[in-house]
Amino acid sequence: MAEFDETNKKITIKLVYYGPAMSGKTSNLMRLHDMLAPDLKGEIMTLETQNDRTLFFDLLPLGFRTPSGWLIKLKLYTVPGQVVHDATRKAVLSRADGVVFVADSQQSQGVNNSEAFQNLEENVSRVGLDFETLPLVVQFNKRDLPNILTESEIKTRWAAAPWPLVLASALDGTGIKETFIQLLQAVYPILNQQVALDDVHGMDMPAFISAVVGD
Amino acid sequence: MDLRSGNFDSELSLHELLSGVSPERLTAILTLILGTPFRLVSTQGELVMGIALPFEGDVSRAPLSHDLETIAYIESPSAEPDKLSAAVILLELLLQSGARYFMAAKMHIEVVQSDYEALQRKHTLLQESEARYKILAAHLEERVEEQVKTIDAAQRQLYQAEKMASVGQLAAGVAHEINNPIGFIRSNLSTAQSYVQKLATMAGMMQSQGSAQLNAAWRDADLDFVLEDFAALLEESVSGADRVARIVADLKGFSNVDHAEEEIVNLNDNLRSVCNVAASQLQGRADLELELGELPPLRCLPGQLNQVLLNLLLNAAQAMTTPGKIRIRTAVDNAQISVTIADTGKGIPAEVLPRIFEPFYTTRDVGQGTGLGLTVSRDVIVAHGGHIEVESQLGAGTTFTIYLPVANADHPR
Repeated sequence: MAEFDETNKKITIKLVYYGPAMSGKTSNLMRLHDMLAPDLKGEIMTLETQNDRTLFFDLLPLGFRTPSGWLIKLKLYTVPGQVVHDATRKAVLSRADGVVFVADSQQSQGVNNSEAFQNLEENVSRVGLDFETLPLVVQFNKRDLPNILTESEIKTRWAAAPWPLVLASALDGTGIKETFIQLLQAVYPILNQQVALDDVHGMDMPAFISAVVGD
Repeated sequence: MDLRSGNFDSELSLHELLSGVSPERLTAILTLILGTPFRLVSTQGELVMGIALPFEGDVSRAPLSHDLETIAYIESPSAEPDKLSAAVILLELLLQSGARYFMAAKMHIEVVQSDYEALQRKHTLLQESEARYKILAAHLEERVEEQVKTIDAAQRQLYQAEKMASVGQLAAGVAHEINNPIGFIRSNLSTAQSYVQKLATMAGMMQSQGSAQLNAAWRDADLDFVLEDFAALLEESVSGADRVARIVADLKGFSNVDHAEEEIVNLNDNLRSVCNVAASQLQGRADLELELGELPPLRCLPGQLNQVLLNLLLNAAQAMTTPGKIRIRTAVDNAQISVTIADTGKGIPAEVLPRIFEPFYTTRDVGQGTGLGLTVSRDVIVAHGGHIEVESQLGAGTTFTIYLPVANADHPR
């Protein structure tokens, strides 16, 4: 549930990049930081250990003002992927308005992907969110590497899943913005219901997305 | 610094963000950078740092932004723009690093808290399961004790039953073996009596018509007396044989080991049969006085009850130091049959009395008693749904009373 601050005319939206360790969640944020040009863009805050592994989270704040004069802030977080940091993952995931699941396309990572996805499903219900209605986009990252699952293999495996599927390479930027836009498209209707973006703030979906992306 | 409030991603105030920096040193540094005094004020206009009084006249003012929003203003009367923006950059870096620290610290607290809660939950579950286990264990001990008691009782009964069975088999065997000879002895005695009678008839004829020589010889041999005594002797032998036959019959009845089935009996009959079996043991030690009341039929295991009655009777006999009395009374009251066996023996010492039903407890010499008689007796009585009581006075005698419910359809076996 987005934070709705009537006094300061401010709406804060929380989006979380989830997935197994080393699947490229932080890289997604870095790429987005470089690619996106909203009115307001903060520095990436990273909290990582020496060997480049996320310890608590990374944070990328984005924002813009609506025609109605409200400030809309989007806070993009990553979770630490390593299994031991489950409590941190839960804390980051709580109150999320949408999730990107970043999977690793390498053939060797199938088990890690499915364990991480199961962990996402469990933690979503643990923090009191509804997995059925939570906006979710599944991204298969690292398409630039050899020994990856083919597109048809992935699509066959995920055929029964209701979520949008995006193939990406955070290294060269392919599919990164698309993933994010897919997520915004999934989040917008719920947000619109909660805070009447369209009626009150004059932001329909295309306007909302272009404001966030800055195109 | 207060880390208690909010989640790791809740908004941070300007005070929080600057709490890790010494205000004096920061003021000194900023003054040095700007080359002028300055004021750092919040968006609401309150002073955070620098000169207390607002500046007069023209003031350069630059916003400080944090988390996409303006969070404060830095004011200086005459600072150059590039110096002012340098001060802003420095302050924003400090705010960013403060935010980074705060978020990490709060996240750490959240994680520790949730780990701790998870541990506590686990601990609670463990405690619950430990409690369950303890109850189970306690219960288990009780159950085991119960089982041990049951097994003990069964073992005692088995031992006694085995003993009885072997004694019974022996008795039955002996009785069976004696039965035949006593049978033909008895029938031969009857035949002999009729022979003697024939001889007596002949003797009369001989005395009236016989020769003097024959008569003299008859008298010399004192055959008149012989004939008379012969009849009496045979009479005595017949009653002796009858007695043996009765004892044999009682023995057979008593040692009815194959009869482990319930029967409906009159307990008085059992008592009489037991008294017959014990008669030889009682001889010269005690006189029996029977006061047998009218009893209703009792459904029971007669073999086992006979054993109990015999045990009590023999105990009474053995309690006699000088010849005395054993009084056996039966009565029925309140749907309970009572059997009282009272002796005038030496009595049981008060310190021994509580232990007499303990298995293998005996005051007799080694080899004289197993210490099981009373234990098994009580087991049998309890198994029949009844109970046994004892009273004793040292030097005056002991009284055992057995109570048996008449309608004991549901007692455990």
